[in-house]
Amino acid sequence: MISRRSAFKAAAGIAAAGTFAVTEGAQAADKTVKVAMNLSLTGADSESAIRVGNGAILAFEDANKYGEVPGIKFDLVKFDDGTATAGQYDPAQAATNARKMVSDKGFIAALGPQMSGAGKAMSPILSEGNLAIITPSSTNPDITDPKFAAQYRPKGKAVYFRTVTTDAYQGPNMANFLAKTVGIKSVYILDDSGAYGVGIADSFQKRCGELGLNVLGRDRLDPKAADYSAVLTKIKSLNADGLYYGGVAQAGVKLAKQVAEILPKIVRAGGDGIYGVELLKGAGFPAADGWYASNASPHKDDGDKKMKEFSDRFNARFKGSPDDYTLTMYVAARAIIETVKVLQAGGKPINRDTVRDGLQAIRMANSLIGPVEFDENGDLKNKVISVFQVKKDASKPLDNMDDQFAYIGVAPMS
Amino acid sequence: MAVTDILARPFASWSQQKRQGWATILVAVAFAIYPFLTDDDSNIDTIANAMSYATLALGLNIVVGFAGLLDLGYAAFFAIGAYYYGIFTAYQVMPPWSSGWEPLAAVGLVEKINQGGGDLVHFTLSFWLALPTGALVAGLFGVLFGAPTLRLRGDYLAIVTLGFGEIVPIVARNADSITNGAAGLNGVKGPALPAIKALGFEGYSFGVNATPYYYVGMVLVAILIFSSIRLRDSRIGRAWMAIREDETAASAMGINLRNFKLLAFAIGASFSGFTGVYFVSKLQVATPEMFNFSVSSMLIVMVVLGGMGSVWGVVVGAALLQLLQTWILPRSTDVIRAIGESVGSDFLMAADLVQWTQMFFGIIIVVMMLFRREGLIPATRAQPKLDLEEQQADVKRGGFVNVDRIEKWNPGTGNALEIKDVTVRFGGLVALNKVSLTIPAGGVIAVIGPNGSGKSTLFNAITGLVPSEGSIKFEGHELIGLRPDEVLAAGVARTFQNIRLFPKLTVLENVLIGQHCRLKTLPFGAIFRPPAARAEEQGALRKALDILGLFGNRLSPRANHTVAGLSYANRRRVEISRALASRPRILLLDEPTAGMNPNETLELAEQIGELNAMGLTILIIEHKLDVVTRLANRVTVLDHGDVIAEGTADEVQRNEEVLTAYLGRAHRAKIEAQDAAAKENANG
Amino acid sequence: MTTGELFLQQLINGLNLGAMYSLLALGFTLVYGIMELINFSHFNVFMVGAFIALGVLRLMGLDGQIVILTGLPLVVVILVAFVVTMFSTGMIGVGIERLLLRPLRAVTGPAAMILTIGVSYILFNIILIGVGGDTRNFANPLPSVSWHFGEATLRLRDVLIWGITIVLMLGLTYFVQFTKLGKGMRATAQDPEAARMMGVEVDNVVGLSFFIGSALAGASGLIFGLYYNYAKVDMGFSAGLRAFTAAVLGGIGNVPGAMLGGVLIGLIEAGSSQLIGQAWADVIIFSILVIVLVFRPAGLLGRQAPNKS
Repeated sequence: MISRRSAFKAAAGIAAAGTFAVTEGAQAADKTVKVAMNLSLTGADSESAIRVGNGAILAFEDANKYGEVPGIKFDLVKFDDGTATAGQYDPAQAATNARKMVSDKGFIAALGPQMSGAGKAMSPILSEGNLAIITPSSTNPDITDPKFAAQYRPKGKAVYFRTVTTDAYQGPNMANFLAKTVGIKSVYILDDSGAYGVGIADSFQKRCGELGLNVLGRDRLDPKAADYSAVLTKIKSLNADGLYYGGVAQAGVKLAKQVAEILPKIVRAGGDGIYGVELLKGAGFPAADGWYASNASPHKDDGDKKMKEFSDRFNARFKGSPDDYTLTMYVAARAIIETVKVLQAGGKPINRDTVRDGLQAIRMANSLIGPVEFDENGDLKNKVISVFQVKKDASKPLDNMDDQFAYIGVAPMS
Repeated sequence: MAVTDILARPFASWSQQKRQGWATILVAVAFAIYPFLTDDDSNIDTIANAMSYATLALGLNIVVGFAGLLDLGYAAFFAIGAYYYGIFTAYQVMPPWSSGWEPLAAVGLVEKINQGGGDLVHFTLSFWLALPTGALVAGLFGVLFGAPTLRLRGDYLAIVTLGFGEIVPIVARNADSITNGAAGLNGVKGPALPAIKALGFEGYSFGVNATPYYYVGMVLVAILIFSSIRLRDSRIGRAWMAIREDETAASAMGINLRNFKLLAFAIGASFSGFTGVYFVSKLQVATPEMFNFSVSSMLIVMVVLGGMGSVWGVVVGAALLQLLQTWILPRSTDVIRAIGESVGSDFLMAADLVQWTQMFFGIIIVVMMLFRREGLIPATRAQPKLDLEEQQADVKRGGFVNVDRIEKWNPGTGNALEIKDVTVRFGGLVALNKVSLTIPAGGVIAVIGPNGSGKSTLFNAITGLVPSEGSIKFEGHELIGLRPDEVLAAGVARTFQNIRLFPKLTVLENVLIGQHCRLKTLPFGAIFRPPAARAEEQGALRKALDILGLFGNRLSPRANHTVAGLSYANRRRVEISRALASRPRILLLDEPTAGMNPNETLELAEQIGELNAMGLTILIIEHKLDVVTRLANRVTVLDHGDVIAEGTADEVQRNEEVLTAYLGRAHRAKIEAQDAAAKENANG
Repeated sequence: MTTGELFLQQLINGLNLGAMYSLLALGFTLVYGIMELINFSHFNVFMVGAFIALGVLRLMGLDGQIVILTGLPLVVVILVAFVVTMFSTGMIGVGIERLLLRPLRAVTGPAAMILTIGVSYILFNIILIGVGGDTRNFANPLPSVSWHFGEATLRLRDVLIWGITIVLMLGLTYFVQFTKLGKGMRATAQDPEAARMMGVEVDNVVGLSFFIGSALAGASGLIFGLYYNYAKVDMGFSAGLRAFTAAVLGGIGNVPGAMLGGVLIGLIEAGSSQLIGQAWADVIIFSILVIVLVFRPAGLLGRQAPNKS
């Protein structure tokens, strides 16, 4: 359980990463390469930012400790794109950070950002500097859409890589799952007004049309409002079989509580925005029970040794359990390490140009989120969407994701 | 102040203006060469961001600092400017192409594109054109949002502007087809300089390089500082400050409250629209979250920190807060952690002051409000000290001096003011009951009566401050139904019983505000100062000094002092000067000698007499009977809203009803008894 | 669900929201009535109140929605939670008034209002830094009792929120109208100078109004938690802004006005969720506010001609 205190220790962990360079196991003659990490550490998203960032810290600490790339030491430099002015992530600060990364030739690659709004501001600048960035969680399809290539990668080459599938897949595959596997006939769609939520709900809605799944309505929630009972009453009056929620936990946990009261029988589902500890902790049981959630990566079940081992290491280091984007961040960091390893082994120079090209060509057959390979736009080639359902297991800790989210299967592809 | 004092010492021989001028040039040069001194683009970018906050703070300062209208949703206009430019350059709104678009394509505002399917229109608004038009669009929204709120008192204004600040991002988020909703606009264009073939200039695209934006930002800040200062030191800035200090007095001094509040909203908004265009062109992304309440409240913090109404103050406030966020807190965090590491304290090593930024905002607001409300760099200038000669100058009693510098009045003939059956009601209370009164041109009429008899209400009715029934004709024109500023423009000026000057402004500014309705300068003239505007301003200044000069060395040496520091008698004199500055044809004086000692009273009475001798018609409320006797041609007595007597001073003093009204029945009986006894004595 | 049942259910939803806003609006209106001060710190005193209540319930062993109480234990738990929460937030209010606002009492202009924005920032960040920004699960010891009218449902907590709101509102009205201190408050609201001369301890009255207003904010925080079962650091702004709008709409400084405004805004919000979409609710609420203020500048039930001059 991540208690308040342990979350703060975790905060301390990442805070130390500001000037973080693990010396253990490093040789004096090692060459240091710098990797930038851009997170929204100030403002509303700071807690999840810390959880996500810890994934990268763990990857680089271990790589340095075990001398994974001989002669190379990784230095992870933290950037904060959250500002008090914006009260959350601030695209202007993200752009400033991108310029800082580009200005310093010591940076060979970057990680982040969490939010697509920041990604949009950073991508053109990084493209000018040919500095590759891998985002663990920004899922807006526009940034890597070839249609907007002139805007987001004016130099042509992909620099915005993702270890997460865009909204363009999670929504449709969940629609397939609900229509084909669960077999509902009608659905009501809600989103939380955020970029992620609107995008994923839009793609869900589009697929519903193709499937012939009857969409009874679509509404947008005010994420700051407390009360969704009026919207839910409206849904109740329409006798919908299912409810799809595109959005993150902020509105999601409140929605879950009220759905449990007002629409106890409805089939409810959401994207990876609600696949997390917050649903379990914030909404609690019985409210969280029964929610389907998709996740944009293949699932490794509990028996997987590697996953278990990762969770244990993470727990030992940060006193908490990793969440979904911790994993994608860890894998993103691993992709950089693997790329540098390949370059070093091939005797090639290690700089941002070679790292970008190396990332484009990297193949990780067996990462924690399955095979990782990037297409020419920077998107993950592997587009497997897993489906989970919250099923209360009273014998295990009620706020542990692995215990309470039961793996259902892979959502049918379109 | 101390530091600047020390810095200024070697240049003591220079005039303050010269020192400020050189300091400004020095700062400008430092900023101009900075990009050559750093090779880190992000430092340049950080300063460019700070510049856009400085321009926003300057705009908010117009609304909050100058005009005193607390706008808590200022970021809305920022959003409007940003989305205006964003929508007209991004690939979002693309109507189908038709030949009707060709003229616009010819001037480069649109282009024909094809994304598969039919031909579409892509807007390609130039950045340079968007800057002024963005300001205009935001200004229009300023008027639109301002108009319904202006009737509301300040507190309500705060909540309604807060509401508008919420509404604009919500609209941006939910009007998907125009704004691309929450995902934000894609493909907002950066600025470019067009090619000039004749000079062999190939054109230049700003792209993502921070330096050109930095210079544009610098020019923007310079333009807005310049405009702010020019506006502040003009008829318009004075009108705003008058509204801020005292709305009622401002209105009575000829300022059209509605127009000038709207103007403040519009100009403040246009600064913000300007910045919005700049900001979004630099970022090339616009999302609704960029303009939420945190931005508005952060701007309030900047203005509060720097000093409300202080142009340089708010710029410094904006700079300090950006510095706090981007440099001071991260660096202090590093230092604290280093200390923590050396002493082995986990607590210190875990410190992260950046997380505390908003906490510091809160603390800054609280501390500033408690201990330094005027901000770090107060708007009110230091008071020039009187030199020894001026201090010791013998203040001599007497009439006006240098009267010949003031234009004489031509009172004309007939009646100046005809008040007929005027009734004023406050709810059920009748404060004035069918009062009729005539003031002949060139005369002095006094109104007397016990407290609460309706004298000041009569003045308020004449000057349009309270609604009334009946008829008040000034030189044949009906005054009822006019606003106070219109009444003043018609030629009726007044003073207030409880002195309503603008306390934080100087004597000179107060008198200049009196001239407001006789001056014509508009924002354009105020900022660019064409010869006509310059001449008008200089004329106004001369006239103000001449009017102050009437009181000899009582006011002239104190022209640049704030009114709050003056003696009571001098404040009375300033108020009369302010009224005279409007070039009235009739002057309404509400107990002008109240609170003055006998000498001062006598002096003022003489001066009022002198004004009348110069041809000015005067209506005066006065308690001191010697003043009334000395000045007034005729006296009207009010009691409980009724005229109870009229006549010469002597006549009304003998009027029985007046005696009753003033002294009560018992006293009257006593006087009557004395009179009777005296008569008997005389007879006997 | 028939149209009639739908209407009934939405009416219930709107009225519940209205009760919440009314209660929160009372604190605004009380302080405004006495001091003519818009107290932005009220937003976050409410939020802090919810967290205090969460802590109190947790101390009594109530966490999450697992433990359901009935009968006397329920009454005792709820009473204790109310008393502790209201007293704590009341003291926060008194502290804000005594330490920060009293020195500004004589200062004209918006200084005091701006100061409360700063206080609001500070309270927000104390919770953000000290507790965190996550949504916290709030204990719900209420048994799930409900009454059905066709498919429309009235739950125990709906009845409770109204019961508590009405009790607090009646108590406040009684206090203001009939007690000596309440009369002092009304006198101070009319004219602080005159009240002082008539022997009213103005300082005490102002302090008391802050205590009561903030205690009501704390009560709202607790009710909010019991009703919606969560507490989150940003809950103050959204709910507070609407409650505040309710107070202005009804006529700020006016107790029945706050109630009327709150109910209206609750109904508008439910109505717009049903008919237009919840995301537009704020736009509709503020548009109505602007329209009302243009035609009735003092609000629906407010004192007219509120010109400070």
